[in-house]
Amino acid sequence: MSSSRAISRPAGSPLGRITNAVPAALVVVLLTAFVSLPLYSMVVTAFKTDKEIYDDFSYIPRQPTLIQFQRVIVGERFFVNIQNSLIVATTATVVAISMSVLAAFAVVRLRFRGRVWVARLILFKYLLPTTLIYIPLFLVVNGLGLANTLQSLIFTYLSFSIPFATWLLMGYFRGIPAELEEQAMIDGCSRIGAMIRVLLPLAAPGVVAASIFTFTGAWNEFLLALVFINRPALQTVPVKLSGMIVGDQYVWGAIMAGAILASLPVVLLYFLAQRFVVAGLAAGAVKG
Amino acid sequence: MAAGSPSVSVQAPTQPAAGRRPLFQREPVLGWLLLSPVLLVMLVLVVWPMLTAIWIAFTDKSIGRDATFVGLANFTQVVSSPRFLRAIQQSLVFTVVAIVLKFALGMAMALVLNRAFFGRNVLRAYFLVPWILPGFVAYMMWRWFLDPLQGVLNYALTDLGLISFPLEFLSSPKMALPSVIVAHVWRSFPFFGVAFLAGLQNIPSEQYEAAAVDGANGWQKFLYITIPGLRHVILVVLMLATIWTFNAFEPIYLLTGGGPADATMVYTVLAYEMGIVNMRLGEASAVPVLILPILGLFIVALSGVMSRDE
Repeated sequence: MSSSRAISRPAGSPLGRITNAVPAALVVVLLTAFVSLPLYSMVVTAFKTDKEIYDDFSYIPRQPTLIQFQRVIVGERFFVNIQNSLIVATTATVVAISMSVLAAFAVVRLRFRGRVWVARLILFKYLLPTTLIYIPLFLVVNGLGLANTLQSLIFTYLSFSIPFATWLLMGYFRGIPAELEEQAMIDGCSRIGAMIRVLLPLAAPGVVAASIFTFTGAWNEFLLALVFINRPALQTVPVKLSGMIVGDQYVWGAIMAGAILASLPVVLLYFLAQRFVVAGLAAGAVKG
Repeated sequence: MAAGSPSVSVQAPTQPAAGRRPLFQREPVLGWLLLSPVLLVMLVLVVWPMLTAIWIAFTDKSIGRDATFVGLANFTQVVSSPRFLRAIQQSLVFTVVAIVLKFALGMAMALVLNRAFFGRNVLRAYFLVPWILPGFVAYMMWRWFLDPLQGVLNYALTDLGLISFPLEFLSSPKMALPSVIVAHVWRSFPFFGVAFLAGLQNIPSEQYEAAAVDGANGWQKFLYITIPGLRHVILVVLMLATIWTFNAFEPIYLLTGGGPADATMVYTVLAYEMGIVNMRLGEASAVPVLILPILGLFIVALSGVMSRDE
């Protein structure tokens, strides 16, 4: 894909090639170490016994064990929280993507006054951080009587997932020639029919990417979940895990095991659909 | 195809003339109709909350109590509070230092990954892991990694003979802010790296070849070809990162909660403390109302730059 464009290919003498390669190799090694060390710490901790974590430190677990996973799943009833997170993230994704597809289609394909301003508004909201609106959102959620419900999260997550998904899909739809839909309309399709039968199949990678980002965003969301939910049985994964850090209790093994479990869906989704995600990002988020 | 129906494909397109189309097929009507769910959601989740926040900021609203108008009291209270001023200052330090480091590491990542070497594709995916991991996972992992008693980093530094007693990365007032910044940089430098890498691939290699012919050295090529070639990406990424970093909540909340003794208190965590922990919603609402106009202008500028791309 990109290897043909490699830059700073050392031209000239072998000596030049070596002096050029040494700093690069050094950078690779340092960056790899920087990225790896905390990850390594998380993984080994999750597979150690408490004794090896707290009393008898070792860099590699001497008796690798699943006891920490058992503690977080059975002892902390972690699957309840995973279920909450799945419900919230899946519902928010389905709702946000359906609405965003329609909106992006309208802005990109239909000509009407005001569409440019709508596009601007959507981008503005995408860039507006949740930290600036969560207190007002908290008042709205209370006003609607939604405090302490999963619905409050599904609903308010639309505030960031819709603008992002719409913006991403707009970029993706623009890349698909409108002539194909016009052709379908000449053959008797309605506008919406042409969107469903022609545009959406062609834009499927973009829709997949937008769905993955939306799901991930909802799965990872911390602040709103922290503010809106205080019933333990309704907590999502991030709030549950961070709530397990209490004073000097010896729970880090279970927390690291929970952190690995919490990362799995997101990392898996990303690597399964990496191609779509990169294509979607290139089309929508940062152009240039 | 059935032989008995030869006329199927001959049917003329049944589009009525523009003026006489059914209502729902006129583009403005259809357009606003398709937009209405999104606009409704934005109205309820953005416009209404913002208006509410502005109203609440002028009242003494607290959780479970009705609001009374108090004029500018909340704003004067917030602006004259030393804690708030310190938090804003620390938010700025956090933002500037973190962005400089993210920029440097991201650029280094992009430049090395743009070279051809064995294992490059694996590294490209691997370097993205910090950015793919959920933020809360990354910060809880770092909190444990930096633990003064059992953290791997203290064990490793001791075993390497670099320190003789464990360092209090997150609980000493001097080290807490730098530690939080490093953890945050770890999490978000890959975003800079991917964006820069994508930008590098759009710079024609002929430019480098021409520069080589003219005898330019590596540094000159970087300064006069790479940086100008990445100008647009750099602008967008820096502006995006400024907004995100200045408003970061998770790294500080999860690593230190703003402590020790406010050493890492940034404005987002302070607003959370005022509004949600101490339940003084009026005062807490004054914070976004103060920040939003400034940040709003910035966001408008950035959205102008990003819209021009289309």
